[in-house]
Amino acid sequence: MLKQFLLVLTVGISQLNADDGSARLLLAKQIHNKYLVEGMDIVVKYSLYNVGDNAATNIQVSDNGFRNEDFELVSGQTQFKLDRLGPGTNTSQTVVVRPRKFGYFNFTAAEVNYSGSEGSSVVLTGLSSDPGQGVIIAARDYEKQFSSHFLDWAAFAVMTLPSLGIPFALWWSSKSKYEAIALKKD
Amino acid sequence: MAPKAGSKMTREEELLLEGFNKNVSTKSSALFYGNAFIVSAIPVWLYWRVHTVDVAAYAIMFVIGTLVSTWLLAFAYKNTKHVLKHKLAIKREAAVTKEITKKLADDKKISKKKDERILWKKNEVAEYEATTFSIFYNNSLFLAIVIFASFYVLNGASPTVNYGLSIGSASGLIALLSTGTKS
Repeated sequence: MLKQFLLVLTVGISQLNADDGSARLLLAKQIHNKYLVEGMDIVVKYSLYNVGDNAATNIQVSDNGFRNEDFELVSGQTQFKLDRLGPGTNTSQTVVVRPRKFGYFNFTAAEVNYSGSEGSSVVLTGLSSDPGQGVIIAARDYEKQFSSHFLDWAAFAVMTLPSLGIPFALWWSSKSKYEAIALKKD
Repeated sequence: MAPKAGSKMTREEELLLEGFNKNVSTKSSALFYGNAFIVSAIPVWLYWRVHTVDVAAYAIMFVIGTLVSTWLLAFAYKNTKHVLKHKLAIKREAAVTKEITKKLADDKKISKKKDERILWKKNEVAEYEATTFSIFYNNSLFLAIVIFASFYVLNGASPTVNYGLSIGSASGLIALLSTGTKS
């Protein structure tokens, strides 16, 4: 997480020199999960920062890293547009995906295209921070570690009840009977 | 007690000897081994469902573990019962005497055999209570030790180590404890 946050500050690549008066967008892509588990949601946050002097217009962010055969899109869009982002402002978008498989996965950078100033026909391109390689844990292993297995323990309790309950009940009934006889005054 | 007629003395002696004899009857043995097997087999469920161990892959280990544990558990039952029986016989003597006396109060004919009847009944009650308590006590201890060892001490160990040590130490420990003659 820290690594990814630091990467936010080390920018992506820019195609044109930033002139005075041009917008400059920084795009950060962060994975907001502690554990990446097969079949469980992964929250991806895209943050756009305009550190230039002018407003960026016609902004298009696209992330082609989440292929349909590997991930199911639960919420949000992997390609979204923004009309304008003023100088010194920021915005963010969240996308939720669900991995279909477990294993190592390389989270690649997303791309941003925008115009440096209003009305400009020159398109500037940038790449987001790269979250890098992550491990998507198999659902089975995650469950083994974190599930409470409540039903399994309940079934175990039911199974052991006769082995413990019946001998105890038999012993107790005999004991109380003879202790009562011993205490009874003739 | 002064010896009287030959047959009565022999019967009383028989009963007294039975009290000191550690050998169990076939019925008792079947009860012990049956219970021991059930209690030894139940932890396998926990290993399958909670530890998510593949039972098919470790089948031989589970079978051997269950059989060894069954034998040790039955051994513990027998020893515990034997120790308890003596103490219980002393404890229940007064109550059993009262019960038999009350029962045979009216019938003067059988009153001669009263002592024999009391001894026999005392033996039976002690045997019954000792058996049931021994089973209950050893089962509770066995299951408690298995759960503690498997989920706290050995949590994270490989299935073989976890099962082997949990079952082995639980059944070994109760077998060892049962051989103690003190209380």
